[in-house]
Amino acid sequence: MKALRPVENVAELPTVTFGARSLMWWGTLGFMTIEGWTTAVLVVAYVYFRQNFDTWPPAGTPNPRLVIPTINLALMIVSIAPARLAANAGRDLDLARVKRWLYVMCAVCVPILVLRWWELWAINTRWDSNAYGTAAWTIVGFHTSLLLLDVADTIGLTLFYVVREMPAKAFSDTADNSFYWYFTVGIWIPIYLIVYVGPRVA
Amino acid sequence: MTIDTEALDREAVALDAVWRDSPGVWGWLTAVNHKTIARRYIVTAFLMFIAGGIQAAIMRAQLARPESSIVGPDRYNQLFTSHGTTMMFLFAVPMMTAMGLYFVPLMIGARTVAFPRLNAFGYWTYVVGVVFMYVSVFANMAPDAGWFAYVPLSGPAYSPGHRVDVWAQVVTFTEIAGLVAAVNVIVTTFKLRAPGMSLNRVPLFVWAQLVVAFMIVFAMPLVATGSTLMLAADRAVNTQWFNPAEGGDALLWQHVFWFFGHPEVYIIFLPALGFVTPIVEAFSGRPVFGYTAIVLANITTAFFSFGLWVHHMFATPIPEVGASLFTAASMLIAIPSGVQIFCWIATMWMGRPRLTVAMLFVLGFIFTFVNGGITGVMLASVAFDRQAHDTFFVVAHLHYVLLGGGVLPLFGAFYFWFPKLTGRLLSEPLGKWHFWLFVIGVNVTFFPMHVLGLNGMPRRVYTYASDTGWGPLNLVASIGAVVIAVSVVVFLVNVVRSSRWGAIAGDNPWNAAGLEWSTGSPPPSYSFIHTPRVSGRHPLWETKEALPVVTGLSDRERQVLVTMTFDAVPDYRHTMPSASIWPLYLALCMGVVFIGSIFSPYFVLLGIAISFIGLAGWGWSGTGPRKGERVALPNGAVRSV
Repeated sequence: MKALRPVENVAELPTVTFGARSLMWWGTLGFMTIEGWTTAVLVVAYVYFRQNFDTWPPAGTPNPRLVIPTINLALMIVSIAPARLAANAGRDLDLARVKRWLYVMCAVCVPILVLRWWELWAINTRWDSNAYGTAAWTIVGFHTSLLLLDVADTIGLTLFYVVREMPAKAFSDTADNSFYWYFTVGIWIPIYLIVYVGPRVA
Repeated sequence: MTIDTEALDREAVALDAVWRDSPGVWGWLTAVNHKTIARRYIVTAFLMFIAGGIQAAIMRAQLARPESSIVGPDRYNQLFTSHGTTMMFLFAVPMMTAMGLYFVPLMIGARTVAFPRLNAFGYWTYVVGVVFMYVSVFANMAPDAGWFAYVPLSGPAYSPGHRVDVWAQVVTFTEIAGLVAAVNVIVTTFKLRAPGMSLNRVPLFVWAQLVVAFMIVFAMPLVATGSTLMLAADRAVNTQWFNPAEGGDALLWQHVFWFFGHPEVYIIFLPALGFVTPIVEAFSGRPVFGYTAIVLANITTAFFSFGLWVHHMFATPIPEVGASLFTAASMLIAIPSGVQIFCWIATMWMGRPRLTVAMLFVLGFIFTFVNGGITGVMLASVAFDRQAHDTFFVVAHLHYVLLGGGVLPLFGAFYFWFPKLTGRLLSEPLGKWHFWLFVIGVNVTFFPMHVLGLNGMPRRVYTYASDTGWGPLNLVASIGAVVIAVSVVVFLVNVVRSSRWGAIAGDNPWNAAGLEWSTGSPPPSYSFIHTPRVSGRHPLWETKEALPVVTGLSDRERQVLVTMTFDAVPDYRHTMPSASIWPLYLALCMGVVFIGSIFSPYFVLLGIAISFIGLAGWGWSGTGPRKGERVALPNGAVRSV
C-alpha cells in the first residue's frame, strides 16, 4: 500500500444535515423522479387513447363524479400546512412541535387515504369497461400506492417518536417525509384536473 | 509527514471490526457491504449468462441442419424467449450495474454506496426474479412470446396460461433492482466522492455509470409500467390497455416497450465503454485522449438513445415524417460512439500499448462493435429495414452489438479488475486462448446470419426446409457456437484456477491510475483506511510519493465522508446502517406481491400488508438514540445534540 499523508481532518464536521446536503434527501428525490415519470407515462397513455374514441368519455360512459375528489383535493392542499410546520419544527430541532405537527399530519392523511376508496369509484366507470376506464383507474391506482406509502411512512415516523427516543437524524427524516408529501400532493393536482375535470371539458 | 505503519495497522483492525460482514448463515443473509453484494450480483449474473448460453446452444443444435427435431416448436418458443429474457434482463443489465456497484465507490474513494441496505434489497429482488424464471423454465412454464412480448400475441386471448405472466413479473423484479441500483449509483457519485474530485475529475468509468443510472431512471419505469400495470393487468384483471375492441391499442405496447428497449441497449453498452477507458489508459501508459469529448459523447448518446425507439417499429403504420426523423436520429447516434472510439485509438497511438489480454479484448471490441454499428446504420434506413425486418440479419446485428459492445469489454474488465475481486491475476496464456476462441466464435456464429437474413431466413423459426439452401450457413453458425462455448469453458477454468493458484496481484499490478488501485487486492471491508484527497484525474500517477488523505472519520461506526455535489468539498460525516435482514424480507414480500398477482389479486394485498412489517423493522433498526451528534442547521449554525 502507498504511504498515506494526512492533509485534512474532518472530525469537527457535522453528522446530521438537512435538505440537499443529506443523502436521504437525494434518495427521496430519486424515487420522486421515478414515480413522477411513471405517472407522466400513464397520463400520456390516457391522452393517447383519446384518439381511439369519438367522444370523451367514450359513448355510454358517464362523466366522473366531482364531489368526493374535490373534497379530497381540498384536504390534500390543507395537509401541506402541517407537513410544512412539521418540517420547520424538525429544522428547529424542536421535538415537541415535531410531534404535535406529525399528529396533525396523521389526522389529515388518514381521512385522505380513506376517501381515496370513494374517489376511485368516482371515476364512474370500471377499469375493465374500456381503455378510458383502464387508464383512469391505473393513474389513480398508482397514485394511491404512493399515497399509501407516504401515509404509512408518516404514521410509522410518528409512532417511533411516541415510543422511543429518536436520534437527531430523525429531525432531518421528518423534513424529508414532508418533502415527499409535497410531491404526493403536487402530482395529484394535475391528475385531478386530467382524470376528474378533463372529461367534462374535453 | 506520513502516517506510520503501526497506526495504520491499528486503524485497519478497528475499521474491519466495524465494517466486515458477520460470519455464518445469518451474516450471509444480512450482509450489506457493497462489495459483498456486488460480488454476488456478478456471480449470479454470470450464471445467467451461462444459462442463456445453454439455451442458445440448444437452439443452434436444432438449427444446425434443416428439418431437425431435437426440439419441437413449443419448446423452441420457450427457448428463444428465455434466452432473450435471460440475456437482456437477468445477465446484461444486472452485470453492468453490479460492476458499477462494486467499482464506483472504490474509484471515487468511498467506503460504501449511499444506500447499502437498499443495495441489498435490489440484489435480493433480482434473485427472486432469477429463481422464479428458472423454476418456470423447468416447470414447462417458461415465457414463449418473445423477449419483447408483443401484444396481441402475449395478451390473454392468444397466450392463455401463465407463461407470459412469468415474463411480465420477471421483468418487473429486474427493473425494480435496476432502479434502486441507479438511485444508489447517482447519489453515491454525487455525494460520496473523495475530497477534491470535482465533476471534471470523475473517472470515465464512473461517468459512464452515472449517465447510465440516469438512463435507467427514465427508461425502466416504462417497461415496469408496461409489463406490470398494463400487460399483466390486461391478463389478470381484464383491463383493456391493448384490446382494440374497447379502445385499447396494440401499438401502445410497442411504444412503451421500445421507449425502454432502445435505451436498454445503451444501458448495456455505455458501462462497457466505461470499462474500456481505464484499460486503454493503463496499457497505453498515458491519460486518455479527449476526456471532455468522451464525457460529452456519453451524455449525447444517452439523450439520442431516447429518440430512436421508433426504428424498431418501421414495419408498423407510422407516419412517414416520423420514420424519417427516427432514421436521422438512428444514424446520428453513430457519431458520439465514433468519437469515443477515435479517442481510444488516439490514446493508443500516442502511448506505448501493451497487448495484455484485457487490451486484446478492447481491440476485439472495437473490431466487432464497429461491424455491429455499421449494420445498425443500415437498419436505420426504412427501405432496408422493411426488407430485413424479423430476419436473421437483425439477429446478426444485435448480437454483434451486444456481444461486441457489451460482452467483449466485460471480459476485458474481468481480466483487468480480477485482482480487485480476488487478490490474484487471471492467467494471461489461458486468457489469450479465451480471447481468440471467443472472437473467432462470435464472428463465425453471427457473420453468416447476415447472409441468411438477406436470403430471407426469418428469425424465431424452429426449423426450415432443406430446399431453402439455408443449411450450410446454419451449420457454420452452429460450429461457431461450439467455439464460443469452448471459449467460455476456458474462461471458467481460468477463473477457478486463478482464484486459487493465480499469481498474487498486489495493490496495483498494472500501474494503473485510479483510486481503486491504491487499496488492497481485494480491498478490505472498509475499502480505504483514510479517505483519499485527489487533485487530478489520475491520482496514482500524479502522486508519486505518499497519497494525501483526509482523517477524522470515526472507526467505531460505519462512517463515511459526504462531499458537495459539484466540487466535492467535505460537507458532513454520515453514519451508514449496519447489517440487516429486512432487505431480504422485503424482497420476499415483493415476490408475494408480483408472483402472487399472477394467481390472485389478493396476494397483492397480502404482500403489501406484510411489507409494512418489513418497512417498520427497517426503520426501527436504523433509528436508535445516539449521543454526540453535531447537527448542521439550515441557517449555517452547527449545534451539538
